[in-house]
Amino acid sequence: MSAVAYTLVVFVLLTAVATALFRDVLSAIVVFGAYSLGMAILYTFLLAPDVAMTEAAIGAGVTTILLLLTIARTSRPSSDRIFERVNVPALVVCGAFLVVMLATVLPATEAVGDPEAIAWANPEVTGYYIENTYEDTGVQNAVTAVLAAYRGFDTFGEAVVVFAAGVATLLVLGREVFA
Amino acid sequence: MIELLASRYAYALMFVLLAIGLYMMIANENLVKKLIGVNLFQTAIFLFFVAVAYVEGGSSPVVPADPDPGAQLIASPLPHVIVLTAIVVGVALTAVGLALIVRIYAEYGTLREDTLREVRADD
Repeated sequence: MSAVAYTLVVFVLLTAVATALFRDVLSAIVVFGAYSLGMAILYTFLLAPDVAMTEAAIGAGVTTILLLLTIARTSRPSSDRIFERVNVPALVVCGAFLVVMLATVLPATEAVGDPEAIAWANPEVTGYYIENTYEDTGVQNAVTAVLAAYRGFDTFGEAVVVFAAGVATLLVLGREVFA
Repeated sequence: MIELLASRYAYALMFVLLAIGLYMMIANENLVKKLIGVNLFQTAIFLFFVAVAYVEGGSSPVVPADPDPGAQLIASPLPHVIVLTAIVVGVALTAVGLALIVRIYAEYGTLREDTLREVRADD
């Protein structure tokens, strides 16, 4: 674990807190874009370049554009206060959630990067894909092979979900013709 | 305690981000910021999956053309695939949520939850 990765963890934490506390929605959106980018770089440190590229393009790119389009069509609250007032009951609830999780679940997890981690609970499953991907599909990137070849129908289902979401968006935004 | 946090930094970060996302969904009055909270909560879950697949000293899941089984450590590709699917589905859901928010604004002229409740009580 390098110093750069620890710096990224701190960066991600700071931008997440800033996103929660900025009162101006535009500032919150911009900081959230920076948060997504930091998260994408953290994914590359965790050996997931495919996830990182998708997160940078879709999380930091498309989501930010959608949010900006939304505040362009609605309102952006103006105020002289920079930060939101802290909601104490909600803070207590979330703090309790955090403490319970850190105290109970965290000690039960394996160390990050441990080859005995949960994803390797069935080494023969993961090992199968790593050993046979090139032979079966002719693709060297195992993520692409699983996404497009082994689990092609699931990816088709995902496309159906995106299509349904597009139809729903058009329906919701559509003006009533006979109003 | 410090050692536990240092060796499980990704999971600790995930729980903190989950708490921040939860706080945004509960406490922020602005609907757009609530939706940003949902997205933040989501990325924390993605971090969990990516951290689970990670192996120290391994390489990214690009296999050589002539694999030598068991000779090298490679990060598990399966959680990565799940996360890729989840990112795309997540952005689709965000788009639907934002469309609903635009409609709510067109109908009631506000995005604040407390004002919205007052306006709806008056109807």
